[in-house]
Order: sequence, then structure tokens, then C-alpha cells
Amino acid sequence: MRSDKRKTIFLIEDNRGDIRLIQEALKSTAIDCEVVVARDGVEAMNYLQQDQNLRPDLILLDLNLPKKDGREVLAEIKADPRIRHIPVVVLTTSRNEEDITKSYDLHVNCYIAKSRNLPQLFKIIRGIEEFWLETATLPL
Amino acid sequence: MTQFNLEAQPINLTSLKQPSIHSLTQVQPHGVLLILEEASLTVLQASTNTTTLLQIAPDALVGKSIDEIFDSFQVDRFRAGLAEENLDFINPSRVWIRRNGDDYAVFDAVFHRNADGFLILELEPALTQENIPFLSFYHLAKASINQLEATSNLQDFCQIIVREVRKVTDFDRVMLYKFDNDGHGEVVAEEKVEEMEAYLGLHFPESDIPIPARKMFVSNWIRVIPNASAEPASLYPIHNPITQQPTNLTLSILRSPYVCHTEYLHNMGVSASLTISLMKDDKLWGLIACHHRTPKYVSYELRKACEFLGRVIFAEISTREETADYHYRMHLARVQSALIESMSEAGSFVDGLVQSDLNLLDLTDAKGAAVCFGGRWTTIGQTPSEEELNYLVQWLAKTVDDEVFYTNSLPLIYSDAERFKHVASGLLAIPISKRSYVLWFRPEVIQTVNWGGDPNHAYELRETGDRLCPRKSFELWKETVRLNSLPWKPVEVQATLELRKAIVNIVLRQAEELALLAQDLERSNAELKKFAYVASHDLQEPLNQVANYVQLLEMRYHDQLDQDATEFIDFAVEGVTLMQTLIDDVLIYSKVDLKGIEWQLVDSDTALNHALGSLRGRIAETNAQVTHDPMPHIVADGTQLMQLFQNLIANAIKFRSSEAPRIHVGVERQEEAWLFSVKDNGIGLDPKFSDRIFVIFQRLHTRDEYPGSGMGLAICKKIVECHRGRIWVESELDRGATFYFTIPVGGRDHSHAIGQKKNYLSH
Repeated sequence: MRSDKRKTIFLIEDNRGDIRLIQEALKSTAIDCEVVVARDGVEAMNYLQQDQNLRPDLILLDLNLPKKDGREVLAEIKADPRIRHIPVVVLTTSRNEEDITKSYDLHVNCYIAKSRNLPQLFKIIRGIEEFWLETATLPL
Repeated sequence: MTQFNLEAQPINLTSLKQPSIHSLTQVQPHGVLLILEEASLTVLQASTNTTTLLQIAPDALVGKSIDEIFDSFQVDRFRAGLAEENLDFINPSRVWIRRNGDDYAVFDAVFHRNADGFLILELEPALTQENIPFLSFYHLAKASINQLEATSNLQDFCQIIVREVRKVTDFDRVMLYKFDNDGHGEVVAEEKVEEMEAYLGLHFPESDIPIPARKMFVSNWIRVIPNASAEPASLYPIHNPITQQPTNLTLSILRSPYVCHTEYLHNMGVSASLTISLMKDDKLWGLIACHHRTPKYVSYELRKACEFLGRVIFAEISTREETADYHYRMHLARVQSALIESMSEAGSFVDGLVQSDLNLLDLTDAKGAAVCFGGRWTTIGQTPSEEELNYLVQWLAKTVDDEVFYTNSLPLIYSDAERFKHVASGLLAIPISKRSYVLWFRPEVIQTVNWGGDPNHAYELRETGDRLCPRKSFELWKETVRLNSLPWKPVEVQATLELRKAIVNIVLRQAEELALLAQDLERSNAELKKFAYVASHDLQEPLNQVANYVQLLEMRYHDQLDQDATEFIDFAVEGVTLMQTLIDDVLIYSKVDLKGIEWQLVDSDTALNHALGSLRGRIAETNAQVTHDPMPHIVADGTQLMQLFQNLIANAIKFRSSEAPRIHVGVERQEEAWLFSVKDNGIGLDPKFSDRIFVIFQRLHTRDEYPGSGMGLAICKKIVECHRGRIWVESELDRGATFYFTIPVGGRDHSHAIGQKKNYLSH
């Protein structure tokens, strides 16, 4: 399914290096999408709770964030009926069992550990974009 | 030394019944003995040597009144003296008897009454007219008392006494003999002519001076045998005409010694002897014994002087003995406080007990001591083996509830002790807790003491007639004191009780400090763990960034980079990758710790298979063959065990030789542990590095040859040590290597390992 509407990815990540890297990875695909960035949990929630028209199609969430932790952000998203249908993908360096279990308990849609290998990382990010924006059917 | 063995013996060795002294009917021939009926002073019996000494036949004397023997002047003095309660007033009286014309025989006359009320008169020839006895007496007393006042030590004191007695009596040998609590005796002082054998320091069994002889020494404080080889004279008639029994001669001076006694004097080369009893609290404390090689007569006065010495001077000995006891108590108190001080200063109180100048042995005069604390033994001196000690403590735990336990015959109540009676016939124990003890040991008394007479080279056992030979009595005595040690003195027991109090206090205090320390340690350990985790995690992020952007540079600008630039980028990536590996390994290392272990019964086969599973790629790649013994179930942490196998097998593959790796995982059951081995046919290593390879970050090869952080074996070591096992390698260059590690059976000290807090005292 292909929508005409330009898709929006909401990236919640505090590390500038990672932000740029993810943006570079997303740029290198054929999919045309807008990337909106929040650098901490509070900023992220403010953005999500604004006008419905501006709601993103996919959220990429880092777990370790300043001000409001990624886990809290995830819990708030999934507790809010207006936004909980937006797919959230946790993208983090942590491979900690506890983090994984906790995230799924909080209804994360997908948990992905960042690869240390750059080409691998690029592949993963393109994969996320392709799957969630092109393959998966999302609610309107 | 058998001088004291007076006893002739009906042949009854088992009961050792002694004949009664009063049944003896013979007298020494140098004097005359007359038994009188007191009211009429009529002679009832006379010694048969009157013919020689008085030139009157004994049968001529019997029935006569003494008025017919002595002149009336002398007899009046007797009558006056006998009217007094105390016969000492007339003893001795210088008397004379006309033998023939002007031939007078001069005697010292001594009276006593025996238990049956007969009057006994003994006449000893007065050999000298000089007044030496009185002067001797005076000098003896004066010199002795002056010297005695100058000495404070019991030993010196006894030495002075024997020296003085010898000076005035001129015997060849004078010794002071002291009875111990258990009846055996020791020569504590001796003065002698050089040629005679020394008896000083020798001990003699109780049976060398049997009970009847002791009784005699108690009633007759001075005994003299001027000539041991003289033929004794009998009495005429043999039986007392009134009682029709032998007359009781217990208190007689002239009464003949037993044949056995004189025989032994003879064997020792002694012809004359003088024995003075030393009494304390109405008990025989000891004897002064004098020996002479030739016959020797000691006058009555001189004997009395010696007896005086025995009585008066001995009062001083008692005081000295009490002082000595007091000094010993003070000494023990000093030892005790020294021990307590060094206990509180030493890192462990046990060290304080055994390492200081004054140690445990000094507290009880023991030959060996052992401390069991926290399951460990520390011993000094002569003790049973650790294994024996373990059993002994188990027995004590079941048997003893008191604060102190002591015995001088351990083998009689704990039969296993017979095996080590030579070090521990005596035991004194203070329990610190159910499993912690301080023990003192004393050897069997036979092994402790220098016995007079070599038990292995004993007298020939002669039972001539009905006599018991003293060497046989020694054997019998040895039998009775077998498995016994010298007894523990009450003051020694008291000292150990006080030490116990001090130990308990110190242990309690140390336990408290340890608990606090453990708390601190736990806290800082937890913080360290958190730190290791956070640090490794936070270190990874910037590192990733470096790696990522360097790689991005290379990907994007590949065409524009020259060969140098590409190489530089490679080095940067390599460095970062290594750093990442190191951080990962440090994280793993920090996660291995005692508290993290989940003790459970695991199948080591499963752990091994998991390890082989994760190594599948490398095994296939190198054509490695891994074989293993049947693997047991053991108590361990399954994950860590898997990691252990994985690291060791990965190592074996990594350090392979030109041949395909052949690896065997072996296991065998030892007494306390499972012994695992991982054997390979790889390049091996120089044995001098076999310890170094287990140290964190130690490597034997450059990273170009063999990549890796150098953490693998350090992690293995930590895992094994957290399981309270041991790991080591046996290897030679080019000959392969075998890594061994042990895991205690049943996860030894399980409760301790999982960090349960325990009261220190409950060990």
C-alpha cells in the first residue's frame, strides 16, 4: 500500500551523532519521509500531544534519554488512547534482558539493538523504514 | 634405687599384700634390745646378742628385773624418767654395764612403749666420749638456718639441707626425696662423693616405697642401718611369753630391716643408711636419705639432730613450697596477660596464642597445644595428627558441656587416644564454641620422667623364696600408671578458664568488626559492580560513534581516499574494535562474583554442549575434534560453567598447532572435588608462564598472532575461584597444554558461598 501523504518519522534520541547517522541511513532509501527529532523525553511528549494532524507515522525511541527516560515515554504513549496506535520501535545500544522484557511489557511494537557495524546498522534502519512505512498496514 | 623397699613378701604378686612390720622378730646386732614388763621392769625377751655385748646369755636375762642388770643409781633414774609422760626426758641415757671386773660397756639407752603397752629398751654402744654431737647439732642448725634465710628458692633450699646433713654426718651420699601427688617420688637434691652414681632428678615408682614402709616412716621419723651385711640377732624367746605373739617392734631403732632391703643396699654398694622422714600436714612429704659405702654408725644425738632438722627446717620447706606455688601462680598470671595482649594485637587471636615468646604451652606447662578455629588447626609442640584431632574434637563436642575439661588419663575414657598416648595421655580443653577449641596435651608419665632403673634393662626377676623383687614392682607400677600423664594443677586449670574468657571476648569483638567490614565490603562491591556496568555501557557509546563515523567516511568517500587514508581508517577501526572487546570482557569479568553464583545441581554435560554449540563455527572452520568423558552432575552455576568450558575450548582451538585441533575434556572424581581437564594438541606454553597466563590482561603473544583481550583465562580463574576450586595448567612448548580445574563436591561451604551471615561463634 502506498499513500500519497508524505510520511513522518519521529526520532526521539539525545545523541547528535546517532541522530545524524539515522538521518543519513533514512536518506539513503527511496522512501520520501520527513524526520522530526526530539532530544529528550519531555520535548517528545509535548510534540506527540499536540494537534492530531501532525502526528507521526512511526516513532523511533532511544531508551536512555535526559529529563524523561525512554521507558517512561513509552509507557505514556501506550497509556494515551489518542496516540497509542502509533508504532513505536525501540532502537538502543542496550542488549540488556531486563530492558527488552520491560519494553515489551510496555507494549513496544519492536525492540531493536543497534549494531556496532555501520553497514549493518544502515541495513537495520532501512529495514525498519521499509517494513513499518511500506509493508505494514497502519490505522488511519 | 631400692633402699626404701623394705618389704619381704609372701608370694602374692597380684594383691601385693605386705607383711606387717610388727611380726618381725629380729634386730640389728650392733645393739641390745630388751622387752620389759613395765610394772616390775622384768625382762620378757632379750636379743640373742647379749652374750657378745653384755657377756650375759639371753636365757639368763629373761625373768630378771633390770635392778639385777644395771646398778641402782641408773635404775632410779629410769624409774623417775618412766614416770614422766614424755620419754624424751630420759632418751637417751648414757648407761654402763659391768661385763667383767673393770670392763664396763657404755651404751646409749633409749626407751619406748609399743602399741601393746610393753616397754622396750634399746642399748646402742656409745662409741665416743667426745661431745661432738651437741656441737654438730648446733652447727648444723645455725649454718643451715643462716643459709636458708638467704635463699628464696625451694630447690636451693633442699640443696643446702642435703649439703649440711652430709657435712655433719659425713655420709657418702645424702639426697632429698620428694613424693609426688600420685605417690611416685623424685630426687630433688643430692650431695655425694664423686665416685657414686648420681640419682638427682630421677623418679621412682610408688611401689619402691610401699605403703607399710611409708607407715613406718610416719611413725618412726628416723631410721638407721649401720651395717647392712651384719647377721641379725633374734629374740629369746621368739614369742612374747605374755601374749604368745611376736612383740610389735614398729618403733624400734634396732629392728632388723627386711632382707630384700639389705640385699638392695648391698647391690647398690651401700653398707650403711640413715633415713629421715619429712612430714607435712601429718603426711609423708618426703625423705632425707643417706648412704655410706662402708658400715657407719651414727650416734643417737646426731640422729636426733638430723630429726630436728627434719621437723623444724621442714616447716620452712612448707612455707617455701607455698611461696613456690604462689610464684607459679604469678608466673601463670604473667603468661596469661602476655597471651591476652598478643591476642588483641595479632591479626588473628590464634596467631597471638602461638607466636609470642610466651605461648600456650607456658600457660599449663604442657608439651603440646592445638587451637581449632574456623575449621583450621594451629598446633605447637607435640600433638596428635590433625586427623586424630578432628575426631577428638568431635568426641569432645558430644561429651563436654562445661567451660573446661581435663583429664590425666585420656585413653581410659577415649580409647582412640591410646594411639597417641605418648603425646596426649593428658588433655586439658577449653571449648570456645561447639567446633572451636583450645587443647593442651601432656605425654604419658612413663615417657615424661627419668625413672630410676632402666625399665628395659630390668633386674632379673628373681622370686627367691617369697620375696618380691623391686624391679618387678617397678613393672607393676608401670602397669598402674600406664596411659596417665602428670596431673593438671588447679591453678593451671584456672588460668585456662581465664584465657577462655579473654578469647571469647576477643572473638566476639572481632566478629562484630568482621560483620561491619562485611557490610562495608558488600556496599562497595555493589557500587563497584554498578560502576563497571555503567562505565562499560557509557564507554561504548562514544566509541561506537567514533567507529561509525570513521566507517561512514570510508563508505562515502571511498573513491576520494588514497591508500594511506584507507590504511589510517583501518587502524582507527581496529583500535576501536579492540577497545569494544576489552570493555565487553571487563564487563563479563566484573559480573563473575561469588554472590552472583546460583548454586544448583547442574548437568555438566549440558553446560559443555552449550559451550560447544556456541563454538560450532570455529570448530567446523578448524576441523577440530572435541571428545569428552561422561560428564557428572555437579553443584555449580550452570551459566558460568558453560562459559568456563567455552573459554578453555576456544583457547585450545585458538592456540592450535599446524595439525587439526584434538581436544579432550576429562573429568574424575577426587575425594572432595571433581577434577576437570581440557587437553589439547596445540602449541603449548613455556611452564614458566603457567601462573602468569591467569592474570588479568596478561598475554604471551602479540595481537597480530593471536587476537583477544587477555581476559579469557582471568575470567576462567575467577569463575573457578568463586566455586572455591582451583585452576592450573600443565604444558610444554609445542607439546600441547592441559588445563585443570576443580569444583568441590556439593559446592563446598555452600551456605558461606551464598553469603549468608553467620554468627562467628557458630562455626
